[in-house]
Amino acid sequence: MSKDRGNGHLYMPRLARVIRIADETYDTKTFTLRFVDEESQQQFSFRSGQFVEVSVFGAGEAPFGLASNPNRKEDFDITVRAVGRVTRALHERKVGDVIGVRGPLGNYFPFEEVFGYDILIVGGGIGLPPLRSLIEPMLDARDKFGRIIILYGARTPQDRVYKHLLSEWEKRTDIEFLQTVDVGDSTWTGHVGVVTTLFDKITVDPARTVAFTCGPPIMIKFVIQDLLAMGFDPDHIISTLERYMKCGVGKCGHCAINHKYVCTDGPVFSFRQMQAFREPL
Amino acid sequence: MKVGDVLTAEKSSVLKALDALRRDWRIIGPTRGVDGEVVFAEIASSQDLFFDYVNELDPIKRFFAPQTEPLFRFRLEGVPELQPPEPPPKQILFGVRSCDVKALEHWDKFYGGRFVDELYFARRERTVVVSLACNKPLPTCFCICTDTGPYLKSGFDVQLTDLGDRYLVEVGTEKGLAVLAQGGLEATEATEADLKQRAERMRQCDAQFVTTAYMAKGIIQLTQGRVKPELWEEMGRECFSCGACTHLCPMCTCFDVQDFMEDTTCGVRERCWDSCQYSGYTRETSGHNPRAATSRRVERRFFHKLSFQYMQQDGHHGCVGCGRCIISCQAMGLLDLPAVLKRLRREGQPVEPARTLPQD
Repeated sequence: MSKDRGNGHLYMPRLARVIRIADETYDTKTFTLRFVDEESQQQFSFRSGQFVEVSVFGAGEAPFGLASNPNRKEDFDITVRAVGRVTRALHERKVGDVIGVRGPLGNYFPFEEVFGYDILIVGGGIGLPPLRSLIEPMLDARDKFGRIIILYGARTPQDRVYKHLLSEWEKRTDIEFLQTVDVGDSTWTGHVGVVTTLFDKITVDPARTVAFTCGPPIMIKFVIQDLLAMGFDPDHIISTLERYMKCGVGKCGHCAINHKYVCTDGPVFSFRQMQAFREPL
Repeated sequence: MKVGDVLTAEKSSVLKALDALRRDWRIIGPTRGVDGEVVFAEIASSQDLFFDYVNELDPIKRFFAPQTEPLFRFRLEGVPELQPPEPPPKQILFGVRSCDVKALEHWDKFYGGRFVDELYFARRERTVVVSLACNKPLPTCFCICTDTGPYLKSGFDVQLTDLGDRYLVEVGTEKGLAVLAQGGLEATEATEADLKQRAERMRQCDAQFVTTAYMAKGIIQLTQGRVKPELWEEMGRECFSCGACTHLCPMCTCFDVQDFMEDTTCGVRERCWDSCQYSGYTRETSGHNPRAATSRRVERRFFHKLSFQYMQQDGHHGCVGCGRCIISCQAMGLLDLPAVLKRLRREGQPVEPARTLPQD
């Protein structure tokens, strides 16, 4: 029974307190969490792309991509849309409430490996949070990368998460940030169209660029299709895969694709790895 | 006595040892159920044992990972309190057939590795497996095709072979040795004649198998992607998605996890067996379901058993030849493992592979 597993075994969460809640959209909130046990918080470190299994006792447990900057040590964020039993229960939590956390789990985005490359990040809807945990440390180490291009698409202007961050990114001159919505409204003066329509507005050199994408499966499919058409190498297209997961540690079986488990071999895969999967994504 | 010893003991002496062990151990063995069926259950005395059986319908996996098992209890007044389960009782599984013992070797590997499932190992380490080699297979047995029986070379703590009035007793592990000593088993070293008699029994048993499973052909067909999609679609139409094949498979390990409230402040998180054959198995909260069609789930099951998980990850078959899927399949003779292998074999024309699977 190792100490890093809390008081017991592989499936035993450690207690974490909700220390901040930010409303992102009408159905999405960002929860800032800190382990109740100080030592647990000090020991907790993760890499961009990893996830945690979050428990609301009585409602259950669900996996969420870590959304904060891994360089931030005092706490960590998850951004959650209320769609199911656990997420709805989570949305009812108040600041100060205690929930359970297991992790960090899963693999992570290549970071040091892409030093020197141009970076193209394509996020869709609630797929931006895990990418935020990649973008922020990239901006912390800005000189290590070539161009950083961020494209973000959401269904409507109201569906966009991290609106404060998006405005900051828009102002920055050391990155190129474009956003779009599928359907605009009276307040929206920006681009309208699915995220892949932003590809027309940028020029990239596929030979020196690594693309990272996260979003709904249908979006990922079209993004990858376009990146390939642009001439990207399958090794330079990095995406997360979504699968129903329960245990997060390769035992419950739900997230298996071929002989891999999204929870332990992923959730981050290159398109080269995905191509080898017999099962469609 | 030491590990590796091959002994013989009167049957009465083995039962006497078992009764002596009951003071400290929960003894589980083959008993007669209410309708005459064979059920592995805790016995109050060796008199309760029922030896005229080949294999019980329920695999012994339930003694290592119960169908529903608490992961922890929680109390929700103020800061939640979590209580992990109590350590499980010490148990001896007596009379387990070879195929079921072989499945445990897979479970040990699967539940170990990078992430160790302590709940499984808590039970595993407190369990002694006394296997009983098969002298007579059922018509549905095919362990000779999966190299998992009818006699074992490893995986048992103690292996017994029925030699009429005596058992041949093989000591497999220190754990096995300890219970034989604790039970005060009266045994003598096996003679040449005993070993000869065992070899003859093995030969006779091997000759009685009637079910064949074309494992090699199936593995080739699947791994090289040679199975036509129409065949999976046909099988998808035949499958009832009842999950019996997976629940009764000694190799299948999948589980789901749920919280249950017992009153307003107390609850329990449990895991329970799940099945890749259920439509909701891969359904995500968003509604997206990568295996919504029954055919995709049937396909997944056979790829998993014969190619992906076991062969590519673990280097062995995902089947121990117990034949429970034959007995339990509601599609009667169409979708059990030997039947599907037969269908894959018939389809096995040398065609251009649709896609070769990666080695990584």
